[in-house]
Amino acid sequence: MKHRLPGGSGVRGVVARIRSLWRGLLRRRDVEAEMAEEFRHHLELRTDDLIRQGLAPGEAARRARIEFGHVESHKERARAARGLRPFDQLGISWLDVKLGLRMLGKYPGLSLVSVVGMSVAIAIGTGGFGLLRALVYAELPLEEGERVVALQNADPRSPGNPNARAVHDFVRWRDELGSVTDVSAYMTEELPVTVPEGEATVAPVARMTASGFRLTRVDPLMGRVLLEEDEREGASPVVVISYGEWQRRFGADPNVLGRAVRLGRTAHTVVGVMPAGFGFPINHRYWVPLHLDPTAYDVGGGPAITMFGRLAPGVDLAQAQAELSTVGQRMARENPATHEHLRPRVLHYPRAYMGIDNPSRAWMARTAQLVLSLLLVVVAVNVAILVYARTSARMGEITVRSALGASRRRVVTQLFAEALVLSLIAAVIGQSLVFIGFSWFEQRVLQGDTMGLPFWVELGLSPVLVAYVAGLAVLAAVIVGVLPGLKATGKAVQSGLQQLHSGSSRLRLGRMWTALIVTQVAIAVAVLPYALYVAGPSISRGLARPTYPVEEFLRGSLSLEEGRAPAEAAEDDDAELIRFRQSATELVRRLEAEPTITGVVLASEFPGGEGVARVEIEGVGRTGVWLNRIDPDLFPLFEVPILAGRGFADGDATTGSNAVIVDRVFVEEVLGGGDVLGRRVRFAPDAPDVETPWLEIVGVVPEFTVPPVFQPEAPKLYVPRAPTEATGPVQLAVRVGAGAAPVSFVVRLREITESVDPRLHLNELETAATAEDERQQSLLFLALLVVAVTGSVLLLSSAGVYAMMSFTVASRRREIGIRSALGAAPERVLRGVFKRAGMQLAGGAVGGLLLAEAIGRLLGVSLFRGEYAHLPPTVALLVTAIGLLAAWGPARHGLSVPPTEALRGE
Amino acid sequence: MTDQAELLPGTLDLLILKAVSLGNAHGYGVLLRIEQISGGALEIQQGALYPALYRLEHQGLIESEWGKSENNRRAKFYRLTTPGRKRMSEEEAGWNRLVAAMTAVLAATPQQIR
Repeated sequence: MKHRLPGGSGVRGVVARIRSLWRGLLRRRDVEAEMAEEFRHHLELRTDDLIRQGLAPGEAARRARIEFGHVESHKERARAARGLRPFDQLGISWLDVKLGLRMLGKYPGLSLVSVVGMSVAIAIGTGGFGLLRALVYAELPLEEGERVVALQNADPRSPGNPNARAVHDFVRWRDELGSVTDVSAYMTEELPVTVPEGEATVAPVARMTASGFRLTRVDPLMGRVLLEEDEREGASPVVVISYGEWQRRFGADPNVLGRAVRLGRTAHTVVGVMPAGFGFPINHRYWVPLHLDPTAYDVGGGPAITMFGRLAPGVDLAQAQAELSTVGQRMARENPATHEHLRPRVLHYPRAYMGIDNPSRAWMARTAQLVLSLLLVVVAVNVAILVYARTSARMGEITVRSALGASRRRVVTQLFAEALVLSLIAAVIGQSLVFIGFSWFEQRVLQGDTMGLPFWVELGLSPVLVAYVAGLAVLAAVIVGVLPGLKATGKAVQSGLQQLHSGSSRLRLGRMWTALIVTQVAIAVAVLPYALYVAGPSISRGLARPTYPVEEFLRGSLSLEEGRAPAEAAEDDDAELIRFRQSATELVRRLEAEPTITGVVLASEFPGGEGVARVEIEGVGRTGVWLNRIDPDLFPLFEVPILAGRGFADGDATTGSNAVIVDRVFVEEVLGGGDVLGRRVRFAPDAPDVETPWLEIVGVVPEFTVPPVFQPEAPKLYVPRAPTEATGPVQLAVRVGAGAAPVSFVVRLREITESVDPRLHLNELETAATAEDERQQSLLFLALLVVAVTGSVLLLSSAGVYAMMSFTVASRRREIGIRSALGAAPERVLRGVFKRAGMQLAGGAVGGLLLAEAIGRLLGVSLFRGEYAHLPPTVALLVTAIGLLAAWGPARHGLSVPPTEALRGE
Repeated sequence: MTDQAELLPGTLDLLILKAVSLGNAHGYGVLLRIEQISGGALEIQQGALYPALYRLEHQGLIESEWGKSENNRRAKFYRLTTPGRKRMSEEEAGWNRLVAAMTAVLAATPQQIR
């Protein structure tokens, strides 16, 4: 039995509380008056009763008051009962909030600038925090999910890319580790899934050990999970399906258990359905048994697996790491060739997924978050300057209030409340921007990737995120309201009181603020050119489409999976290469035989996704170019005209050929134009004593793709694709004839690939148009972000300059008035005003240009040469001009002061 | 006043809910009603009634409305809401359980624990 009444719960209770609080804050005076009236009424009735009982009126009234108790303490408890106490303690009243709202309207320019700047800053800070929380600091939504860990064989030679050929390690860890239980492994395959009487679609399938299910402690919704028996050689193929697939693909059939479903070419029997929201290990939809037999592979061989486990009760990460390291050292001693350099590690599961596998990366993530949040501090300091300027104009009001007995705390609280109104509006807008961004991000990820976001990622409105935004808003309000408030209510109040009669009660803009504004101008001048340099081409690239018929292409990445069956694993590397080459060739042949296919080519990269290679150009030197090794018939298939020389011929694809083709950007940017046929390039040798053969340019093609990321210029070098040197990956480009949608060929393409060679794997299969859309969207998003951030920086620095000029002019108002009264020409007076502002602006601009050059050296791109050379001076001039324009208003205002008014203070 | 019982902590809210459930009442009326139905056995410090009334109103368990009182003056009348009624019956049931348990304990004889 509980003695306390916790009050109305549920929605009605919350609504009642909000209504009561709202009324208490908004109509505080009415509420207080009603309370007093109610008490009075009570006392009157009681007094009447006591008189009726025979007491004299005076005595009755006295008794009634005694019985009632101390009125003020009842009132105090009544306020607490209404939830008003925290507001009383802070000292913020509805009046302050109303004043803040009135200030918004009274200074619309200031309000707009402040809200825009802070909204962008809050959006960026919150967005960063939200993403980091959702992706990096997330916990698995499983029972004791924080104890689920990833197990990796880290390879210090390639950070973030652990060695996954770990069948032997897996068995060892599973059998020997005491601090980690349920050691499990999985591998992801994207397979065409066919349900009888349904269309085939591609879905992520987890081939997972049965222990993986045990580890999650999640019971199936129907049927059973995978069992160890299912992993045995010769066991009949079974599959567990996700709730979503059960709903969509099986029409939520209650008799789904026992039904058949084809994954790839193998028919599986459905034995279980998992509950909604379950996608472990990442966001899988189907689970099939993983059979791992270490005897079938050498140490360091076998399929690429991902491992995980659960910390044993009472064990922490460090203890598990210690045990794993010991086991790892034993393994390294026994197998130095494969394991000497490997460092086994236990990691927080979601962080391992994000590739944050060492302290320095975790530190980087935290720094990124800090920097994002710091942006708000910078913006808030700017807004503080503006508010300080406004506060100076209100010094008269503040001085009078102080004189009338308002404490410093009271005045500062009022300024804080006003700032809070600004920052809360900015917070609401900023938060909305974040959600628009998140939903866009989610859509994009879900559209481009069959797997989608990991099942534990929630990019929604969480209480923590709301608290973070509220925290940012309060932080901004402290900077914007309290700092200027403290400064304005310091010594200035005293001197203000003395000067009140002259009407010149104004603050001075200290050196620190001036220095801040000059620094700000410098930063604007330094950063803006780079922002434009990134944003401009990003927008134009974002809007550009490649010249080839992108909507007719399918693209995918082809590789040969490591043999899973013992017999296959016995094959040596050469055999594997031959097999991959033959299978790839056979696949191309089979595809070309399809009636709907116009053509098929293989290349080291799909056009547009080239990587950088260092080359040496005869007579020029070394430089980085974008390299693609392509099939001879790539250009005709992509309808790329040959501008000079010739295209590749079949003979070029054989070893010994030295023909290469370059694009027009290469000709102009690297070779300096002119006739380039016959000029020679070679791959820059890794070591001085290594010779690489010279290659001859035989043709020139136009630029026919758009780079995936921002690159100022992307010279391309095309080399004939040599017979495959590795077991993948190689990029496959399939052109589906006009009239047929490429997407309709996806399933058929997978079927053909599987039938050519079951180990031939087709990853990242998508239409070229989808990839193009994604590329365009990310570029435009980047551009939008850059424009928003730099726009708010520019806006705020102009506003800062305006505030500074207002100060300068205001403090010299009387001087200007007197000089005008004494007959000085307005131009002379103006010149004086502008001189100081001009000097400061010029100082900032020069500093900014120097800073821009320094940034350029750091980034390795100088804006002071080449096509963009005009950008820094233009921006410097622009910022200076905006500053002078901002100075114009206050200066004119100063000139318009009637001399009599200016002299009145004397 | 030896015949008056001390109010157990937390029982004031339940008493107010019960008093208001018998009909709309203003603050003083609530007080009189509690005294009346308890036969004067329960003593409430008069001023302490109001913070409790405001708390219940804040929680949405009772509602108030201004009207005319018996002496023709403006007074605030309280009325029970649906959540308030639900809460009252829950608390009443809990109270009865407690009373039954306490009675059983206090009525225990040495024979019972053998």
